[in-house]
Amino acid sequence: MVGLTGFIKNFFKRADKLGLQESPEALRSMFKARYWSFKALLDDNNKVLQIMSDMEHALRESLGFGMAFIRANCTAISVNVYKIIQNMNEIAPNRYNALYDVFAEIEKRLNEILEKRKEFGGGKWALPLEAVNKEMADQVGSKMANLGEIMNRVNLPVPEGFVITASAYELFIEHNNLQEEINRQIQTVDLEDLEMLHEVSANIQQIIIQSPLPDELEEAILSAYRRLEEKTEKGINVSSRSSALGEDAENASFAGQYRSVLNVNQEFLAHTYKEILASKYSPQAMTYRLNMGFRDEDIAMSVGCMAMVEAVSSGVMYSRDPGNIRNNVVLVNAVWGLAKSVVDGTVSPDLFVISKESPGQILKKEIHRKDQKFVCFPEEGVCRMTLVGDEKDDPAIKDDEALFLAGLAARLEDHYGRPQDIEWSIGKDGVVRILQSRPLRQLDTESKTVKEVADLKVEQPVILEGGVTASRGVACGPAFLVDTTVDALQFPSGAVLVTKHSLPQWAAILRRAVAVIADRGGVAGHLATVSREFNIPALFDTLEATRKIENGTIITVDADGQKVYAGQVESLLKEARAEKASLMKGSPVYNTLEKVLEHIVPLNLTDPDGNNFRPKWCRTYHDITRFCHERAVKEMFSFGKDHHFLERSSKQLVCEVPMQWWIIDLEDGFKESVEGDTVKLENIASIPMLALWEGVTTIPWEGPPPVDKKGFFSIMLQSTMDPSLEPTGKCRYADKNYFMISRHFCNLTSRFGYHFSTVEAFLGENPKTNYVSFNFKGGGADYTRRVGRLKFIEHILKKFDFRVEINEDCIMARLEGYDQNFLVERLKVLGYLSIHTRQLDMIMGNNATRNYYINKMLNDIDSFVSV
Amino acid sequence: MEELKVLVVDDEDDFRETFLKRLQKRNLDVSGAESGEKALELLDEKPFDVVILDVKMPGMDGVETLREMKRKRPLMEVIMLTAHASVESGIEGMKLGAFDYIMKPADIDELMDKMRQAYEKKSIHEEKIRQAKIKELRK
Repeated sequence: MVGLTGFIKNFFKRADKLGLQESPEALRSMFKARYWSFKALLDDNNKVLQIMSDMEHALRESLGFGMAFIRANCTAISVNVYKIIQNMNEIAPNRYNALYDVFAEIEKRLNEILEKRKEFGGGKWALPLEAVNKEMADQVGSKMANLGEIMNRVNLPVPEGFVITASAYELFIEHNNLQEEINRQIQTVDLEDLEMLHEVSANIQQIIIQSPLPDELEEAILSAYRRLEEKTEKGINVSSRSSALGEDAENASFAGQYRSVLNVNQEFLAHTYKEILASKYSPQAMTYRLNMGFRDEDIAMSVGCMAMVEAVSSGVMYSRDPGNIRNNVVLVNAVWGLAKSVVDGTVSPDLFVISKESPGQILKKEIHRKDQKFVCFPEEGVCRMTLVGDEKDDPAIKDDEALFLAGLAARLEDHYGRPQDIEWSIGKDGVVRILQSRPLRQLDTESKTVKEVADLKVEQPVILEGGVTASRGVACGPAFLVDTTVDALQFPSGAVLVTKHSLPQWAAILRRAVAVIADRGGVAGHLATVSREFNIPALFDTLEATRKIENGTIITVDADGQKVYAGQVESLLKEARAEKASLMKGSPVYNTLEKVLEHIVPLNLTDPDGNNFRPKWCRTYHDITRFCHERAVKEMFSFGKDHHFLERSSKQLVCEVPMQWWIIDLEDGFKESVEGDTVKLENIASIPMLALWEGVTTIPWEGPPPVDKKGFFSIMLQSTMDPSLEPTGKCRYADKNYFMISRHFCNLTSRFGYHFSTVEAFLGENPKTNYVSFNFKGGGADYTRRVGRLKFIEHILKKFDFRVEINEDCIMARLEGYDQNFLVERLKVLGYLSIHTRQLDMIMGNNATRNYYINKMLNDIDSFVSV
Repeated sequence: MEELKVLVVDDEDDFRETFLKRLQKRNLDVSGAESGEKALELLDEKPFDVVILDVKMPGMDGVETLREMKRKRPLMEVIMLTAHASVESGIEGMKLGAFDYIMKPADIDELMDKMRQAYEKKSIHEEKIRQAKIKELRK
């Protein structure tokens, strides 16, 4: 038993705790501190909602976002939620410490998702090509893994060589501690800004090239090179080819995104290796990853070094027609010299179409003028040579060579069990060597056939005709001629890219282009491949596009019909208009964002009266935010009462509206300080409260609408199932409304029977920080009727510019960034709705009455709100 | 906010100097330090209200510097600035008492708002402590 002294002691201890002995100054400063925390909490609450909506928007629209975007937003939202919890514990000292635990749990899950690293096959830094096969793509990248497979399992000639593996790349990056610096560089730029992109790309590439190779790695590369010398000849030059890991993704080719350097002298082996690693950050590669949703850290570069073979002719072939999979033919593209001019798009190659069904039959042969070729310099490097004389018009390969090549293509398709895209060359020794083989990407066969579109009558003049369809489709926009990188930097969004050569580096601006037209180049070039992936019409080998098309004029490109028209050809555009494929969807970055959002956005705590409205039931950041906002309001309310502090206790508003309205002044919400426990409307200085009040009082409520029998029955049924829904006034807060105000701020919490709503607004001088938010949750009636009422409210709110979200039987609406006057009118609408939508769910079963009420309300609102 | 004393700690000279100039134009009393060590020395010479601190610096890094600063001046508010966002390091900074954690490139006006908030918080805490002392004296 506690004796009398014990009781008195306890009483004073309690009294002390409650602040009974605090001086008014002390109470004022305590309140001021809490009010500050409350304001900070509201601020962070808004920020959290904003970040969530940005992240959801990026996901929904599949905007080109990278890991930097996800990391920055996850960090920002985590920090803000953490601050909310800190401030919650300032408002109610240490009463909400449990929130730190749920926060830590969510943070841990986010970290697991964000920091997950792709594992690369471990082990050796360099591997001879004889030791490589297609199962080793996780060490040497798919390009080199396939070459090893062809050499060792298909037994076709491939140049001798070795691969510097992904482990070597990781060693190099870690040794120089580069990843963090690279991420840092990427985060600070807007990758959509081409100039910034080029700058940051140059910075990163320079950092990589200037970093030293670890000794053990340099050693490994040199000893692999010595072995290659033994097998071939002393001092042999190599071609160094990028073979990135992650390139094997189903719908991504990474065509020409990374560097390959031909004819490298051994002296520059290490330097070239670093150049190729650096090319992971070329502008086009960075843009490509961003658009396709690849995570930067998932891509490791391995580099293949193969004995350089001087080629007489070379090219690219497809084991099927990429335009029509049922067309069982092999397409062989051939040029003089090295294959570089095919993939670079600098020369329009010869084309051989060879039947697979009756082998030996050449179905079609197109010989183009090939006015240049690439050849090796004796010491190092390659050069472009202009072709004069007959050679330029002669076929680059003979018919029997074409047939032989077609046979190889069929063998490779057989081995892999799917159509292949193959790079080959014929050396001076007459040997045909395979330089690369990868799955062939089919053109979109869903869209209309060439003929269907071409049959349309077009009135506009044709300004260009002919060429090859590198990527199908029709598009219209102003022509923009690009010759140099400087032109590319100025490339406007929505223009048609017109260029001489279909160079791979123009891929960096493809995302802004609506179509591409080039004088030179074929279907097999890198730019063609990327255009198809991005679903942008491309018309190449037009010979004179840059001469015939005038910069800045509006043109319509019909890649299928191989025509370019002056002006906008609506009939064609209408026919060809297809949904742009989302490149991001399903990509690693997209999936990462989707996964992190699962721990951020879903709202489980919708009912503040529910049993689960507790810290331990918070599953997401949204839950924590919602919980804290709700509780912070409550705690601010009880401060005056708990501390018997009249200044900050609630006062009842003297008014004619037949409900109880209680008000707490946070700072400067009253014109003059109030003695006693009531306050008059004339003494209210809060701008948002006065606006709300006007909405509440201007049009008196007529009482509940007449209930149809079904509606009434529905409420009865609900009430018997859940006693808290009893409409007779047994509810915990029976029709009490609480205002918390300052001059620019107002929070109204209302319970009308079983309806619960909050309106919160900040209306200051700066539109940037202004907002109005509205939450409504209602019981009564059955679920369908409740949802019907929400749709009803949504309909009206949307008319007044609110962003509305419905979550089960809870509605959330927000407006931000507008000026005071604009928001005052919207608050009037909310005030009106909070009174007049009461019990509307009872009539929601009936469409006619529903429409009647919508019209009535819109008329009412119209009568006193000016928008 | 004329009386607000700000210290900017960042090893990138360009960034720091430009930033200092822009803050000066906004009538703040600003100082700069190029390292954590230098910043801690300055703390002994002069009181600061708010510190803007880069997370990644050679030598003593931002987190270490923050820890020392909070030990020396618990009421001084520190805003962390980072170009390499990570949830983990962000929350670590907050747990050590940072006022906020902001991603580069930061909007200068947003940072001004943050500094104002941080300064308010500091003043309020000082007032609370003053009241607590008065209460102590009354006993």
